[in-house]
Parts: sequence; structure tokens; C-alpha cells
Amino acid sequence: MDLAFTTEEQQFREDIRAWVRDQLPADISHKVHNALRLTRDDMQHWAKILGKKGWLGHAWPKEFGGPGWNSIQKHLFEEECALAGAPRVVPFGPVMVAPVIMAFGNAEQQQRFLPGIASGDVWWSQGYSEPGSGSDLASLKTRAERRGDKFIVNGQKTWTTLGQYGEWIFCLVRTSSEGKPQTGISFLLIDMKSPGVTVRPIVLLDGEAEVNEVWFDNVEVPAENLVGEENKGWHYAKHLLAHERTNIADVNRAKRELERLKRIARAEGVYDDTRFRDEIAKLEVDVVALEMLALRVLAAETSGKQSLDIAGLLKIRGSEIQQRYSELMMLAAGPYALPLIREAMEAGWQGDAVGAAWCAPLASTYFNMRKTTIYGGSNEVQRNIVSQVVLG
Amino acid sequence: MDFDFSEDQDQLRDAVRKWVDKGYSFDRRRETTRAGGFSRAAYTELAELGLCGLYIAPEHDGMGMGPVEGMVVMEELGRGIVLEPLAHSLIASGVLGGYAPAELQAAWLPRIASGEALVVLAHQERAARYRLDVCKAKATQTPAGWTLDATKSIVPAGDQADAFLVPALVGERMALFLVAREAAGVSTRGYGTQDGARAAEVTLQQAPAELITLDGLTALEHAVDIGIAATCAEAVGVMDKTLSLTTEYMNTRKQFGVVISSFQALRHRAADMKMQLELARSMSYYASLKLNAPAPERRAAMARAKYQLGNSMRFIGQQAVQLHGGIGVTDEYIVSHYFKKLTQLELTFGDTLHHLGEVSERMQDTAGVFA
Repeated sequence: MDLAFTTEEQQFREDIRAWVRDQLPADISHKVHNALRLTRDDMQHWAKILGKKGWLGHAWPKEFGGPGWNSIQKHLFEEECALAGAPRVVPFGPVMVAPVIMAFGNAEQQQRFLPGIASGDVWWSQGYSEPGSGSDLASLKTRAERRGDKFIVNGQKTWTTLGQYGEWIFCLVRTSSEGKPQTGISFLLIDMKSPGVTVRPIVLLDGEAEVNEVWFDNVEVPAENLVGEENKGWHYAKHLLAHERTNIADVNRAKRELERLKRIARAEGVYDDTRFRDEIAKLEVDVVALEMLALRVLAAETSGKQSLDIAGLLKIRGSEIQQRYSELMMLAAGPYALPLIREAMEAGWQGDAVGAAWCAPLASTYFNMRKTTIYGGSNEVQRNIVSQVVLG
Repeated sequence: MDFDFSEDQDQLRDAVRKWVDKGYSFDRRRETTRAGGFSRAAYTELAELGLCGLYIAPEHDGMGMGPVEGMVVMEELGRGIVLEPLAHSLIASGVLGGYAPAELQAAWLPRIASGEALVVLAHQERAARYRLDVCKAKATQTPAGWTLDATKSIVPAGDQADAFLVPALVGERMALFLVAREAAGVSTRGYGTQDGARAAEVTLQQAPAELITLDGLTALEHAVDIGIAATCAEAVGVMDKTLSLTTEYMNTRKQFGVVISSFQALRHRAADMKMQLELARSMSYYASLKLNAPAPERRAAMARAKYQLGNSMRFIGQQAVQLHGGIGVTDEYIVSHYFKKLTQLELTFGDTLHHLGEVSERMQDTAGVFA
């Protein structure tokens, strides 16, 4: 047992840190550090910088052009990016669909789709949830009918994050209504420019259009865009979920945001108020415990000696912590979190702040963060999964 | 970065687990509690396994092992809610080995390792609560050596131990001494504790004492930190077993014609217990892996760990009783004894509110495991 990183791991971290410091545009990290609005171009800009270095798919194996890092190295890379104020990589391409294409796609699909994902040129979206299928995803109804060398897709997806920018979308579609709901699902790659695809943004409680509804009205999809075998999509999707276990806890961002919380609390004069400070202290321990939990999972993955049944806990705890730091930041600002001045959430706004510049986005971020215990399998569904581990 | 146990550590765990399973039954424990809460025979068995000399160097007949081995052993003793205070043997070994003059080490460490001498920390005073810098005990230097005047509370197995580590003031400054229980001027008043173990009030009146170090607060803080790491590990063992007792019960107990583990409200509670257990285990690792860090870093880590462990212990203990229903509040069934052990451990070496205060005071601008 050793809590310290090895000399090689430390050196790896130093190398990543130096590279990120050199490459991350200051205007982008300024926005991230201050929770100001990121544009599509900001996200694309950073994705392409990573893509050029071969690190957008930083978790990819070497055979597909990735760096072939182990779990610890991936963690160090993600941590250095997060602490430096890099935007989160939009995961749908490099983190979510790419591993499925690698594992279950054919060589032609791999050659066709992976380069555009690796470079950051093609924006991918996720078509999973439907109006009637949230936590119970397997009940999805969007139909794909095989007609010759095409599928005809009809139905509606929803909660498609950043789908307004999407060029391609990977969808779970129903290709059979026989047997259990899980057995009739297929994994389809769809060009969002296809006739019959309509995207409508959904304005969320923070006033932002972060997610979308996507309609499919007799959309023709070439059969060659089917990943793997028909009716096996559920199996592929589960493989995908296994790929983002530690990622979703977002412990690195939690560390960065806890530091920001301390700065805001200090500036707002509540850092030395025992009642408030103790709440930060509780969160401080929560973050350390989450990080230790995540490190245990990573170390076990790297050594391969023990299998841990605790990965499901990371999503629950990580999301609770994300909500808590956003909540405490808002509470630190007190009434100055209340004014809703959208321009004040843009970088470079020259207007008069109410209170202080950092106050403007705090409530919006708090509202936005309510999603974290709902998406990716609600925390109640996660507890069902954990209870299966403990109770059978 | 590595959280795997070595083969030697796994073997150590197996040996202790085997002793707990075969040699430390619930009936034996119950008998021990009835007989006063401490069994010298059981303590001697721990010594025969080499556990009393875990932190003692080989030249003093010990095993020369470190915090990870200490953690492994304490987890297993926790699983069996063992009453004998091995944590204090680890404390005494660490403090004597780290701070005492050579002749004092040579006189006591081999006897601690063999189990012949049980040496416990006697630092609690009425006015101090959990503060380590509050001390009224006084030390006086006489031509014949040091003598102490002190009243120390809730000293584990205090009327059974062979010697005490006692902080006392030399002028304004705290020093740390060793006092033999058989020495003149030592009186003890023993009693049972809530977890079924034993403690005592220890009164010293001009009792002859050996000086361990004049830098008493440094040594006492270190002693308590060894105790915190050991307590965290012990608590993980207790909680692990408490959760498995609870899930076994949930899978067998039937109400409304079905096993109660089929009810989602209860399943989620079990999931929350698992969460608290794994957070606690993670922070117990953290405590043991930070035990040899420089003092400020070590102290901050122990406060963080004990805060998490305290919360986890209270939640898991209370929920285990709740999920057992009526049988959970009986003395006959084992789970209430695990609950009481968890309660006792929460209030040992600083409770949860105390350590929250410590975390709060020590907070830096940075965050995380390495901050």
C-alpha cells in the first residue's frame, strides 16, 4: 500500500501540467474558473487542441491511436486538465461512442468514424432517453424498421445534451418488440443532417438551452450504420456505461470548485463565520473521501489484483458533492446570488455588477446542478444497483 | 499509488481472522464482560500471535511492522468486537519507541511485545474533553526522581494494566511519563464501559514516574494519532461485520409473506450503509497511510479521517439496529453489541463534532487528498 504517486507518475503529471499550461487558452480557463458561459467554439477549440496532440481520446488504446495510458495516468491527465481550468471534454464522441465502435463496430466503421472523433472535428450527440423512458431506459420506443439496405427511424429522443451542435448521433432504437424489452434494441449511428431529423432546444430552469428534443420522422439510415448485431444494442450500451464509472464522479472538478468556494466565502466574509466554515469543512472531508474512493478504484484497475464493487458509489457521492458545492457558493453570496443578469455571465461584460462579479452565475449553476443526481441513471436507480451488490 | 495488500499482510489478516473466528466467540466475549470486561488470557493470546509487538523493533523482540499492518490487525479485531485494548499496545509501542530514553525502551518494550506488560495511555482529564493541551496533572522532580499527582479518567483496562503513559505538567509545559500501576501512590477504581469492556479512574499521589520526554504534547499528539488510526481501522472491521449481519438478517426475515430485503425503502438504506462503509474504509486507509507523515500533515489527516469515521459509525450503527427491528434492541442478539461498540469508538480519541472543528481550523486554500 502506498498513497504516494511513483516518481514516473509524478513526472508524467509534471509533463501534462506543463503541456496544459502551454496549450490551454487563457480566455477559456478564465471562463471555466469563474463559471462564465462557454460557447460551442470554446469547447471545440480545446477539443481540437487535444485532438491535435492525440489526447482527445485520452483513454483510447494505442491500436486506435490513443496514448494507451493506464488508469492512474488517465486520472492524472484528467486532474491536471480540470485543475488548470480546462472545459470538460464533451464526452459523447471520444468517451462514449468511440469505445463502442472500437469494441463492437466493424473495421469499416472504425476507419470511417474514429478519426473524426479523435480530432474533435465531428460533434457527436447521444440519443438514449425518450419522453417515456428515463431511468427505465429499456422501455424506449423509437422504432427502426429494416427496409432493404436501410433502416427507417421514427420516434423521439430527449435530454440530448448540446444536441443543437450535434452532427452525428448514436441512438438506441427498437428493432424488435419480441421477448424482454432489452433484447429488441439496436445501436444505430445517425447523421443528424438526414432529412426528417428535427432538433428543438429545451430551456432549462437556469434559462439555458443545454439539452434538446430530437425527432426522427421517417429518417433513412443506411444499414451499414448499425453497430454490431441487430437487437444487441442494450449489451453494447452497458459496455459503454462501464467505461465512465470513475469519470462521472468528477472528483477533480470537485477539488477545483471547492477551492473556488473557499475564495468566494472569503470574499463574501463568511469564511470565518464558524457556522458557514464548518459546512465547508464537511465538504472538504467529503471531497477527500470521494477522492480516496476514486483512487482505490483506479489503483485496483491498474494493478488488476482486486475487483472492487464500489464503482457504483462514485456516481451517487460525486453528484451529491457537485450539488453541495454549488449550493454553498450560492449561499455564500446570500442575497447577491438573486439578481438574474444574463449578460453578467458572459466573459468580458463591462456592466456594473450587483454585489460582485463572481455573484452573477452562482444561483444559475446551483439550479443547473440539480441534473447531476438525475442523469446517468438517477441516484435512486444507482441505489437499486448498489443494493443488489449488498443484498443480492 | 497502490492499495493492494502484500502477501505477508494478507497472511497476517488471515491469522488474526482465524483467531477471532475460532478463539473469540460471542459467548467468550459475553463471559469476559460479565467477569469485568477484560481478559488477560485473551490479551496473552493476542501477544502469542505477535500482535502486541507489531510496532516494536526486532531488537526489542517485536515484529517491526508499520501502520498498514496495524490497520489490518485492528480491522480484524473490530470484526470480532474484541474487548482487549490492543490499540493501546500500539500507542505504547510507538510512543516509547519514538520518544523514550534507551534504558526505558529496553525495560518495557520486550515485556509489551511478549504480552507480559500491558501499558495504556492515561491522558483523559475532566476539564479537557477532547483537547490534548488541557492538563492539570503535575510532575515534581525530587532527588529520588520524578513523582506525579494526577487524576486520569476512563483509562482502558486501567485497574488491570501494568503501567500508564501519563501526561503531566513540568512547570507550564507538558511532559510525558510512565507510571507502573504497582508503584506507591497509585490507586484505581475500575468499572465497565458501554461496549462491554473495562476502564478505570486512575489517581496518582506523589507516585514515582519515569520521564519519557519533556516534549510531552508532541508525544501525546502522536500517541492519540496512533490511536485514531487504530480506531478508524477497528471501526471499519466493526462496520463491515455490522453490515453483513444486517444484510443476512434482511435476506431471512419475512414480513407480509416476503423477505424484508424485497422492500425498496430498506434496500436503499442498505445501499446507504454500504456507501458509509466504503467512505469510512477509504478514510481509514488514508489515516494509516498518513500516520508516518510530518506532524501537521498527520494531525490534519487524522481529523479528517475521524470525522468521516464518526459519521459512518453513527449511521451504520443506528441503521443496523433499525433494520433489525425489535431483535435489534435486545441484549441477547449480537447486533446491539456492534452498535454499542461503534458508539464507544465514535467517542474515543475525539468525537465527530470535535474533529469537524479540527478540520475547520486546519483548512487550507487547496483541497483534496494531497492538499
